Amino acid sequence: MLARVADSLYWMARYIERAEHTARLIAVKLESMIEQSPEDAENSWIRVVAALTGEEASTTDAHAITQAIAFDRTNPSSLVSSLRFARDNARQIREQLSTEMWEHLNRLYLSTHGETIRSVWVHQPAQFFRQTLEDLFTLDGVTYSTLRHGEGWRFLELGRYIERAQLVSRLLDIHFGIVAPGYKNPPPPPKYFDWLVLLKFCAAFEPYCKEYTADLRPEKIAQFLLFDAEFPHSVRFSVDRVVESLAHVATGAPPNRRAACERLAGRLKASVDFGLIDELSGDSIDNFLVNITRQCEQIHDAVYKAYIAYDAETVL
Amino acid sequence: MQKGVPSGLELGVEDHHPSTPAKPVRPGEAAPYAHYELSAAYDEMFTPKGHVRAHYGQLDLRLLTLEPDELLRRQQACEQSFLHQGITFTVYSDNQSTERIIPTDLLPRIVTGAEWDRVERGLKQRIQALNLFLRDIYAEGRVLKDGVIPRKLILGSKHYRREMRGVAVPHGSYVNVCGSDLIRCEDGHFAVLEDNLRVPSGVSYMLANRDVVRRAFPNVFRASRVRPIEQYPNELLATLKSLVPFQEDVSIAVLTPGVFNSAFFEHAFLARQMGVELVEGRDLLVNDNVVYARTTSGLKRIDVIYRRVDDDFIDPLVFREDSTLGVAGLFNAYRAGNVVLANALGTGVADDKAVYAYVPRLIRYYLSEEPILDNIETFLCREEKSLSHVLANLDKLVVKAVGESGGYGMLVGPHASQGEREEFARKLKADPENYIAQPTIQLSTAPTYVNGGVEARHVDLRPFILHGEETRIVPGGLTRVALKKGSLVVNSSQGGGSKDTWVLND
Repeated sequence: MLARVADSLYWMARYIERAEHTARLIAVKLESMIEQSPEDAENSWIRVVAALTGEEASTTDAHAITQAIAFDRTNPSSLVSSLRFARDNARQIREQLSTEMWEHLNRLYLSTHGETIRSVWVHQPAQFFRQTLEDLFTLDGVTYSTLRHGEGWRFLELGRYIERAQLVSRLLDIHFGIVAPGYKNPPPPPKYFDWLVLLKFCAAFEPYCKEYTADLRPEKIAQFLLFDAEFPHSVRFSVDRVVESLAHVATGAPPNRRAACERLAGRLKASVDFGLIDELSGDSIDNFLVNITRQCEQIHDAVYKAYIAYDAETVL
Repeated sequence: MQKGVPSGLELGVEDHHPSTPAKPVRPGEAAPYAHYELSAAYDEMFTPKGHVRAHYGQLDLRLLTLEPDELLRRQQACEQSFLHQGITFTVYSDNQSTERIIPTDLLPRIVTGAEWDRVERGLKQRIQALNLFLRDIYAEGRVLKDGVIPRKLILGSKHYRREMRGVAVPHGSYVNVCGSDLIRCEDGHFAVLEDNLRVPSGVSYMLANRDVVRRAFPNVFRASRVRPIEQYPNELLATLKSLVPFQEDVSIAVLTPGVFNSAFFEHAFLARQMGVELVEGRDLLVNDNVVYARTTSGLKRIDVIYRRVDDDFIDPLVFREDSTLGVAGLFNAYRAGNVVLANALGTGVADDKAVYAYVPRLIRYYLSEEPILDNIETFLCREEKSLSHVLANLDKLVVKAVGESGGYGMLVGPHASQGEREEFARKLKADPENYIAQPTIQLSTAPTYVNGGVEARHVDLRPFILHGEETRIVPGGLTRVALKKGSLVVNSSQGGGSKDTWVLND
């Protein structure tokens, strides 16, 4: 597979994952704020903005925040921007995708890129984000069943799960760790309802209840979202997929070029396979989560160095 | 809806009609043709007396029975499909980008099998002569020594590539993909307007049009016995493979300038349909005169490049050094015979508008045959007698700059103002060698869906000819249509659209 094609597939998947995450956070937030006191809702919005942008929110107004993180075209991490970047990447490698995948993504882009907060806000704004989520799930299914599960598909998986591991880690960090270093108005520690919302942010409420009953406890929630091996939005599940994908890309590359990626991925896998939630309290969970994000970045760099942006002189 | 016309809307209904109408419908009479105007131009559907030509009979019956809403719905379905497939270009305004589709017309342009067979023979003859000509001028130059064509016209052309002298080209095939523009003259016969021998485009629209129009008129399509064209990608692949004759496993790539090129859709389409890699210049590198693509696993050798990048940009070491679209060292690898480029470099010298005028003579010279397809009468302003004729008849002629294409650098005499004509006359006198003139040609008209009805619009035809070990042509080609009433300019850059082209099994 061309190195440039792998690059586009990888980023296409990352942007699709980011779009899905953003759409779900906004949908859940818009639906849940109705049941919260104004103060609790504001604190919760601050966490959403911090999770998606890494910055302290300049406003706590739901309308203004939704505009910025969903529809602002000048904001490169907004929902519409993520969908645009996903589609731009897909267009460059149109010949590598199945027609069903491309047309589905293209239709999704065409139907969302002209949307504004004004047209969405009038009736049930959450509905727009639920619809977008549903379209993204369909895209996922279309991809799974129409694209050959070869190297290209593995790069899609790699991009998606590296992104997911980082997004979920950051979201957990904001709820469990030292919320916001240097924030002027850091939100208070989460309340019972915030833990429920956190599970919904990760599409995890029902799966969690099946495993631990409806008894919502922070340490069990952390255990589930970090270390559950079978839940698709847990960090451990994502890391497993990263390791698996890496084993199937660039299979023609000699072992010495593959070594760095495999070592880094194996190390990360070990830390989530054998981690214990009881050992992570206070500062240490914060460090643990930051460390996962950093290791994902290292894997990304190693993949680029070995398979995508390598120096041609080294392989001649 | 006309009185007495059955209003069957169900798809199956059209099959129950007799194959020829009892009474021919004339333009201006029945509803869909209310604004159909016949002119001096040949009309593809109606005879000069207004009777429907037999090969349009099936389509005519269908159009008469369709409600206007239904035609509109089908046109919209075609456009929607183009939009979703991404057959679009982007318009930017106020920080907002909008996708616009390449205009496509619902109604097929229909050609009889007998007419087509003659065209096909003519095109095969023409590409054979042009390839012999190219081989000759990049080798011993017999045609120049014999004085068939002026030496200065060839060696002085900006598209003549001295670097190509002595380069061995497989099967002597310089032009592997040719798109010749044909028009139908007032008396109904096809003539060649120009040859596109460099990187002709449009074949993906030919296939995309077929796909949507077949869905819009499934029963007319079946009843009309249309010859298939879907084999084009396969035939292109066979042509490219034939350029490396003694190798089992040939690695082929399509080279595109990138996603911002207006024909990018086509490049991706052809790569996908052929199942070969689509590469950009930055994906390739040359080492020891061998071309490689950068893959995730390492370097992979490339044997044939179907390049959709112009000569000028293909190798910054040999041609334009500011090009970022090409590959440094590619030309040397090509000269060394380690990679085949299709089309070969330097083919542009033969589709020059002045060289065009000599093509009938080249056919006689190389093949000792009479040309099957006519040229349009062309006055070479470099010849003194022609120049004075052109200057005296500027109001009747179309004058074209030799090296331009896409409808640029052109004077359409009858439509120009006195001032424009005088200014062009000055240019002509200053640099006569740079111009040719042709009579104003009435392109034929064909039924086109506009303003909710069917009207006559001018069309041309671009068939695609493949030449490698053998010559292959899929029946038909891309019909381009000037969507503006009365306009003769079919170029997509200037308000033209395209249509599906049906060649029938008579």
